[in-house]
Amino acid sequence: MSGLPYSNILVYLDGSEGSMNAAMYAILLAKASKASLHAVYVVNTKALGDLVRSHIFVDQEKAEYLEDLKKDAARHIRHTERLAASKDLEITAVSLDGSPHKEILSYIKQHGINLLVLGSVNTIRSRRDELTSENDRMLRTAPCPVLVVREDDDLWAEFEEV
Amino acid sequence: MTLLEALDKDLVKIPLTSSDGKGVIEELASLYAGKKGLSPARTEEIVSLVMDRERLGSTAMENGIAIPHAKIEGLGSTSVVIGVSRLPVEFGGKEGTKIFFLVLAPAENPTEHIQILSSIARVCSSELFVRMLQSAKTKDDVFQLFFE
Repeated sequence: MSGLPYSNILVYLDGSEGSMNAAMYAILLAKASKASLHAVYVVNTKALGDLVRSHIFVDQEKAEYLEDLKKDAARHIRHTERLAASKDLEITAVSLDGSPHKEILSYIKQHGINLLVLGSVNTIRSRRDELTSENDRMLRTAPCPVLVVREDDDLWAEFEEV
Repeated sequence: MTLLEALDKDLVKIPLTSSDGKGVIEELASLYAGKKGLSPARTEEIVSLVMDRERLGSTAMENGIAIPHAKIEGLGSTSVVIGVSRLPVEFGGKEGTKIFFLVLAPAENPTEHIQILSSIARVCSSELFVRMLQSAKTKDDVFQLFFE
């Protein structure tokens, strides 16, 4: 324990530019606060299953997308590990399968995470819950504080400087 | 990117004029190509990719909705092109299809593609939403349904 409130930080990776910004921010934050950092990518197998059930995907397509998603997960985890290594920070980076917000909530509870870092969340543009993003769901339901990293062109430069 | 971010009022065709499935895909792809300034060859390539995918199994659902889609190399971002037909179109489902969501996604971003397809499937699982979409008269009507 570092004695600081955020000793165990989790950043959620989803392959978007926003989540990579969040990863950089989380690395800088973990380094500055001497916290442990976890990075988790969730391959959304729940959505793949739902798409097959509703006949939008065929089985062959599901298998192809699953492979694509696993490659995407591996690529983003490797990239995050390299970013952390560039700041001499140890990181626990894992890829999980399932429903992203459920897997992240479960991970938070299992690993005693006390800060969740997310890439940008969406402006509320619809009351329809069906249109809520995974990030929005995590923001609303996480059992720990959540830090949302806004899009910021200077973050790359700041990351390089530190 | 979410479904709402991918929607564009210029990419809504109401009513569709084609009476067969391939014609509908060509109509929607042309609308997309016009907006994005694509060449006829690139438009044809998109139609081919979508129809190749349909041959694996129709994306028509039981409620008169179809979600044809393709992942395309070199596409900048995911786009959703919506078409509403006054008459049911044969698209491989048990019943004719009146509402088409053509989803064109960059091959490089599978997560976004899955998220957008899932959002369409979720929102279209509401019978009320589908009825309202079927009775939409204008692009504005369609848009308002998503953003209300």
